[in-house]
Amino acid sequence: MSNKHLFLPSGFIRTPLQNGLGRYIPQLQRITLKFCKNHGGSRGVRDFIETDLMEFAKTNPGTVVYLKPRRHRYPCMVAEYLNGEREYLSCHEFSRAEIQKWLSYMCTRSGIPVMRFRKYQHTDYPSIQGVWNPFTHQAPEINVAQFPHEILSKPVDNGPTATDQLIEIFKKTQIKDPVKPEH
Amino acid sequence: MAALWKTCHQCLRYGLSHKSFYPSVSAINVISKRNFKPRWVAPTLREIKRRKDVEDDRNGGPKIFHRSTFLEWNYDAEIFAFSNRLGEKFNEATLRTALTHKSYVERETARLSDIGVDSYLQIQNNEELAVAGGALISKFTNGYLRAVFTRVPEELIMAMHDFLTSTSNLEIVGKHIGLGDLMLCSDFPCESETYVKSLKAVVAALAESSGEERARIFVQDLVVTQLYGLDINELWNPADPVGNLTDILKREGKAEPEFRLIKHSGQNSVLAVYYVGVYSDKNFIAEGAGESLEIAKEMAAREALKQLFHTEDSMKALPFGRQLKNIQSKIVQLENQPNLPLSKWISEKVTSAVH
Repeated sequence: MSNKHLFLPSGFIRTPLQNGLGRYIPQLQRITLKFCKNHGGSRGVRDFIETDLMEFAKTNPGTVVYLKPRRHRYPCMVAEYLNGEREYLSCHEFSRAEIQKWLSYMCTRSGIPVMRFRKYQHTDYPSIQGVWNPFTHQAPEINVAQFPHEILSKPVDNGPTATDQLIEIFKKTQIKDPVKPEH
Repeated sequence: MAALWKTCHQCLRYGLSHKSFYPSVSAINVISKRNFKPRWVAPTLREIKRRKDVEDDRNGGPKIFHRSTFLEWNYDAEIFAFSNRLGEKFNEATLRTALTHKSYVERETARLSDIGVDSYLQIQNNEELAVAGGALISKFTNGYLRAVFTRVPEELIMAMHDFLTSTSNLEIVGKHIGLGDLMLCSDFPCESETYVKSLKAVVAALAESSGEERARIFVQDLVVTQLYGLDINELWNPADPVGNLTDILKREGKAEPEFRLIKHSGQNSVLAVYYVGVYSDKNFIAEGAGESLEIAKEMAAREALKQLFHTEDSMKALPFGRQLKNIQSKIVQLENQPNLPLSKWISEKVTSAVH
């Protein structure tokens, strides 16, 4: 039930600079794809670069894509966000589709580190009629009342108690005119 | 030393990240997977980190490098991405000028003259653009505030304007649109003033490239939205609310405000609370609560003023973005038309906002 065992930080949903309120600014600033031109583990990245990369760059003109071919190195991608955060992901032995998936994941993030959301809803107006305080629903007459007061001193009338109701039921079950036994 | 170098190579072979070879950054998050490393890896990395921390402490903090010192850096591509990210079209020369600071030009001229090349650099700096942009941001902010807060006195408008155009607010905006890596300046890490100047110059460049209309929408989308979630009554409060309320009611021809105690509790305790209501000619206007009678009276007067200005806690939500489409012409009209000051405020002369 509790989340204390998780090392994941928790928080409420937020966005940098009220993104989306005025206009939506894609938060991914640049992405660096490092791969080997020869090694088999970079095959997926190489295939992605040859086929899907141009389309990705065209659909995300606000993101700069850097390619770093490095021999004898495993493939990886480093995403840099507008709020200064960096995300590193190793792409070793990934397929072309997996690279596409992770790249689209990086694009849609805001750069705020992954955290457990405490609530999935948020409101700026938590109370419509006003938060309850002890003076809500109090009769204004108590201000100028002299105690003991014949109405206000008594407990608030909530109707007959359970005992009273049982007595009423018992009385109803009684015979009205008991017949006197004839000698 | 040789052993350490060998272990580093082994670290690389096992596919570890080059975190220790990257310039230090404040946060690098790794999307982790299940990796089973040999026993000696963790202690080795721990020792490397410990030695690095000792060196960093000795040098007064980790070394920081400007993003342009990286091998993967293309200034033209970054400029292109900057304008596309914001969804705006810039005249490229104007944008580059807007991002060039005087300190950078001076530094470059000094460097060239040190080498021996005594040339007068033709690069323009952003001083004039910054001044123009500052005036534009101020104007557009005022227009928005006066169009949305029609019933509010000019003092509160000025307080909100001062907050929105403050150095801290504009610096945050500048940082989060990616200006930090694009600015050409001699100070690193860049100061707040540099960010603010760049942002103002960018706004002026946008007005020059795409027109004032686009620049207005830009300021509304990025600067003014920082008003969201803020309690504007925290920014400014009338100094003498009781006196102000009395003056306003007198000007409107209504009866003098009468303060009556409505509720109280815990008078002899630390947690005393008094609710005082303001009445004008036996009509209830507002109530306020406080720890003492004087505080409660002042709070009641403040609440009454808030109700007159339509700035209560339950006021209408502020419009942003697309919701401003219908009132853009009104915003333009009110940019140079200040609201009524508190000394002259009267409800007949103000209209309720429709947005």
